[in-house]
Amino acid sequence: MIVTVKLFGMLKTQLHHDSKLNESELKVPLDHGCRVDDLIAAIQSMNADVGDLLLKRKILVSVNHEVAHGETELTGTDEIALLPPFSGGSSTPGEMLADVYR
Amino acid sequence: MSTVDTEASLVRVQREDFSIDEEINRVRNRSTRIGGIATFLGTARDRSNDRDVSRITFEYYEGMAQKKLREIRERALQDFDVLEVLILHRYGEIDIGENIVLIVVGAMHRADAFKACKWCIDELKQITPIWKREETPDGQVWVEQHP
Repeated sequence: MIVTVKLFGMLKTQLHHDSKLNESELKVPLDHGCRVDDLIAAIQSMNADVGDLLLKRKILVSVNHEVAHGETELTGTDEIALLPPFSGGSSTPGEMLADVYR
Repeated sequence: MSTVDTEASLVRVQREDFSIDEEINRVRNRSTRIGGIATFLGTARDRSNDRDVSRITFEYYEGMAQKKLREIRERALQDFDVLEVLILHRYGEIDIGENIVLIVVGAMHRADAFKACKWCIDELKQITPIWKREETPDGQVWVEQHP
């Protein structure tokens, strides 16, 4: 199956190096019965930096509008999104995740 | 106005600016037992992380953001001794000095209103999928936190 993953914030540019476009979705082929951990592994093969942030849970995966854990099973009809840190979500003042870009 | 319509008006994510007076009255009119209203208004500042900021853009996850804001309102009504809660957040491009986010809490007494209002804005920043991009002299920056 192919799952569609919504992208937000800096992920729209980080996961689409070639296009220079603010693509808001990512298509990821996965086997039926896959879990969130399998999705993270697939994304890590596409972009190691984003994959590492997913493993560290700096970037979260949501399934049907709820933050999911690694064991959550995915179906082709789920609404899946990668959530970079929210604008107020850090406990360290002044911390920035994204690089400055022009 | 139906209950559903009323709840929808009390939790909103919208592009356009809002009237603080109108939003306060929306809460005030919900109960004659309200004796104190606490508000938090977040505005766009021109300085962040030692950089000048000329404009801010907010992006949000349609559906999930509203769901989380509804949950915050419901939990505040359940966990604090308050009578009504309004939560409003803007998205899109916002100029310096403009309104960004508004929390309005009505309670019988001020202490409960203050406590719930602070909890709501703190929780909003923790669990609501909203992202901020600042325009600085060095370029555009996605910001992980806005204190």
